[in-house]
Amino acid sequence: MWARLILSLALLGLVGGGTPSESRAQSAAQQGPVREYQLKAVFVFHFTQFADWLPGAFADPQAPLVIGILGDNPFGSYLDDAVRGEQVNNRPIVVQHYRKLSDVKACHILFIAQSESDHMRQILDDLRGRNILTVSDADGFAAQGGMIQFLTEKNKIRLRINADAAKAADVTISSKLLRSAEIVTSGRE
Amino acid sequence: MWFKDLPIQRKLMTVVMLTSGAVIVLTCSVLLAYEYLTFRQTTVRQLTTLGELIATNSTAALAFDNQDDATEVLSALKADRHIVAAGLYDKHGTLFAKFPAHRRADAFPRTPGPDGYRFEHARLSSVQPVVQGANERLGTLYLESDMEAIYERFRLYGGIVLLVIVGSSLLTYLLSRSLQRRITQPVLALADMARAISDRQDYTVRATKLGEDELGLLTDAFNQMLIKIDEYTKEREQAGARLYAQVGRLDLLNRITHAIGDRQDLPSIFGVILRSLEENLPIDFGCICVFNPFADVLTVTSVGAHSRALATQLHLLEEEQVPIDQNGLARCVSGELVYEPDTRHISFPFPQRLASAGLHALVAAPLLVEEKVFGVLIAARREAESFSSADCEFLKQLSEHVALAAHQAKLHGELQQAYDDLRKTQRTVLQQERLRALGEMASGIAHDINNAISPAALYTESLLEQETHLSERGRDHLVTIQRAIDDVAQTVARMREFYRQREPQLMLAPIDLNRLVRQVIDLTRARWRDVPQQQGIVIDLQVELGSALPTIMGAEGEIRDALTNLIFNAVDAMTEGGTLSIRTCAVTGDGAPAVDEAADMVASAVSVEVGDTGIGMSDETKRRSLEPFFTTKGERGTGLGLAMVYGMVQRHSAEIKIESQLGHGTTVRLTFPISTAQPVSPSIAVPARLAQRLDILIVDDDPRLIQSLRDILEGDGHTVTVAEGGAAGIHCFEQAVKNSHPFSVVITDLGMPYVDGRKVAAAVKAVSPETPVLLLTGWGQRLLAEHDIPQHVDRLLSKPPKLQDLRTALAEVALRTSTFAHK
Repeated sequence: MWARLILSLALLGLVGGGTPSESRAQSAAQQGPVREYQLKAVFVFHFTQFADWLPGAFADPQAPLVIGILGDNPFGSYLDDAVRGEQVNNRPIVVQHYRKLSDVKACHILFIAQSESDHMRQILDDLRGRNILTVSDADGFAAQGGMIQFLTEKNKIRLRINADAAKAADVTISSKLLRSAEIVTSGRE
Repeated sequence: MWFKDLPIQRKLMTVVMLTSGAVIVLTCSVLLAYEYLTFRQTTVRQLTTLGELIATNSTAALAFDNQDDATEVLSALKADRHIVAAGLYDKHGTLFAKFPAHRRADAFPRTPGPDGYRFEHARLSSVQPVVQGANERLGTLYLESDMEAIYERFRLYGGIVLLVIVGSSLLTYLLSRSLQRRITQPVLALADMARAISDRQDYTVRATKLGEDELGLLTDAFNQMLIKIDEYTKEREQAGARLYAQVGRLDLLNRITHAIGDRQDLPSIFGVILRSLEENLPIDFGCICVFNPFADVLTVTSVGAHSRALATQLHLLEEEQVPIDQNGLARCVSGELVYEPDTRHISFPFPQRLASAGLHALVAAPLLVEEKVFGVLIAARREAESFSSADCEFLKQLSEHVALAAHQAKLHGELQQAYDDLRKTQRTVLQQERLRALGEMASGIAHDINNAISPAALYTESLLEQETHLSERGRDHLVTIQRAIDDVAQTVARMREFYRQREPQLMLAPIDLNRLVRQVIDLTRARWRDVPQQQGIVIDLQVELGSALPTIMGAEGEIRDALTNLIFNAVDAMTEGGTLSIRTCAVTGDGAPAVDEAADMVASAVSVEVGDTGIGMSDETKRRSLEPFFTTKGERGTGLGLAMVYGMVQRHSAEIKIESQLGHGTTVRLTFPISTAQPVSPSIAVPARLAQRLDILIVDDDPRLIQSLRDILEGDGHTVTVAEGGAAGIHCFEQAVKNSHPFSVVITDLGMPYVDGRKVAAAVKAVSPETPVLLLTGWGQRLLAEHDIPQHVDRLLSKPPKLQDLRTALAEVALRTSTFAHK
């Protein structure tokens, strides 16, 4: 806990002390790709708390909640740092890295890196019907049928959610999360 | 302490209102306190709930750093107007979002502070965690609420409470007003009545009882008390009336006692008492009787002024007698107060007598002095049984006072009498002493006069006897001279009456009253005619002399003096003139004047009347006129005139009657009895001239007397030797005896210087006891009267000597001497 507090403070210090590496980034937290992903890592972790899965998604009550990263890992160690020691409904959180889609087995949140943007449609199609919350910061992700898309707006990270896609995948997204996000349907954009 | 003085109604009301008010206020206070506490809790809970809601809703905003979303969530708070401010802090404690949006950030706490809620500065603030899931703390929510809700609530509640208080007070007031009447009404009624009673002093009213509670008991007790007070008041009034009556009686007693004290005579005392009783006790009839224990009767002595009519009816006027019957009066005279409440029921005569006059109640109170009843006070009223015991007691006390006063009056009278007697005696003694001194002087004068007139008397008598050839005129003159000398002698003799202690030996002689009256009129002419005439007063004299008056036996001089005195008095009474009437007549035995011849034959008395038309006498003066030394003439009178007349009247067994009326004159009538007895001749028949020649020694100190005696005696043929003075006389007599020519008779004067008649007589008798001694004295009559014939004196002759007496005396002694000589 202390460690986390210190980490958070350090993070803040980093965010505050960093210089913007991207033109869109104005806020201290989003002044570079590193900090951006640091935030996104926290967001991803937060998703664990605002989404529910089918009971069958977990092998047993103690089965960990798995966050998978498909493609190149943009987070570095941030995600691992964010989930370290955390539990969701008494389940530990595990971060797994996948090179290809077929590696994806038991997974609950799947972050699809921008490296996979070219065959995003394919991936999404393949994942259809699987009880997995899909997250990506690739452009048009939500429109293509992805569930949660990060987008940066006025130097702030915003969420765009395709509620239909989530519903189709039997992933229940908390209305609180839905309210603070932009809701889209497939095919739009 | 104002409460104490409140009327009970207000008091009760105050108590009820205070009590109910206190209960209501307490209840409301508890309710308010409870409400406050619960409402606070409720407010906290609501705020907490609201916070939780906001916190829950803002988790995503915090988690995904969506400030707009957070602000929007917070803006929902505007629905609750009591939320003053809300702040969302991120997990680092930095203010993330605020409400209201325009509120400045520095108006919020820099850091949210610890979780929980607190009240401060009339604000309620809560700090709550914003948590998503089990333990992920995303931030902190700060909420600040004003207390307006509570205040509002309190205002509402306050209003309600006020309404409740007012309403309940009103209700309480109305209820208690109607209910307390049940308590206050009897109390107020009692109070009103008590006030009315104390105002009107009427204790006969009674309070109405309204129930059987304590007030009922109180009412009963009050009524009971009123009954007691009423009784007590009546009793006190009666006692007051009794006391008043008693005081009245005491006052009456006091007044009567005072009135009695001012009076000393019994009739007046009795009169005052009876009048006071009649007017003030009062009584209808009152009288006072004196008890005569010997005759056993009561004699009415005094009757009340207002009782007179009844007394006449009852025959109970003064001097009437009441026999003592066996009940009431008998008991009364034995010293008891007797009260007959109704005389109609008493069969004895006296009560019956009163009853017949309508007097039905009778009280007879004894008048006791030294435990002896001397009288009875009788009081009566028309109404039966009308004397109270107090009246009886009063009458008893009064009777004691009356008795005492009567006794005192009697004592006073006796004392006064004794004092008067003593004074009279003293005056008499003084007067007598004066008279005695006067008498002594008069006696001396008389002696000298007698001596002086002796020669005149002797010569006159001798001339009349021996000078046979005297002219008629000369003889008349000599007779007048002789009578004048006799009168002088008698007048001088009478001077001694003034101091004479004893009754003079009356020398009664037959007297022709008419002659005497004429004499007196002549003698007093100066007084009744000449003296008044000089003063311009005319006194008319009327003389009526009865014809053929029988002679009376009497002392001529005394009667003459008496008539003189009466004439003087009559003249003195007529200071302005008038008529002096003198009248004589014969009267029959019954006092009626005898007017005719026949009556004259049976006349038993002769009366002489001296009347005047002067000032007259009052009854008092008339009553006292005969007292010695009583005079109305002041210094001019001796007070002896009428007293001497009275003395004369008594000595002559005569009667005196005085008729007088003030302003109309006085008439005094003297009535002398006619004596049938022959007067005793004072002298025996002796020859006019003694045949026997006597040797006579005359001893005297008055040469003129000696000379006249010698002339007379030598004329009679006697041998006369004279000796001037007592000593010479004794010497002469002794010489004669020595020379064997003793004198046959010695005539000596009594009063002589150095050797008086007594000594001469003694000396003569010492030498020759047989020689008779004649004592010749100017005091002769006095000595005679007093039987004071000195020793050794054979015969006493008074001056001026009458020839006849002298010859008789000489004859007597000569006879004795010759008889003696013959033996």
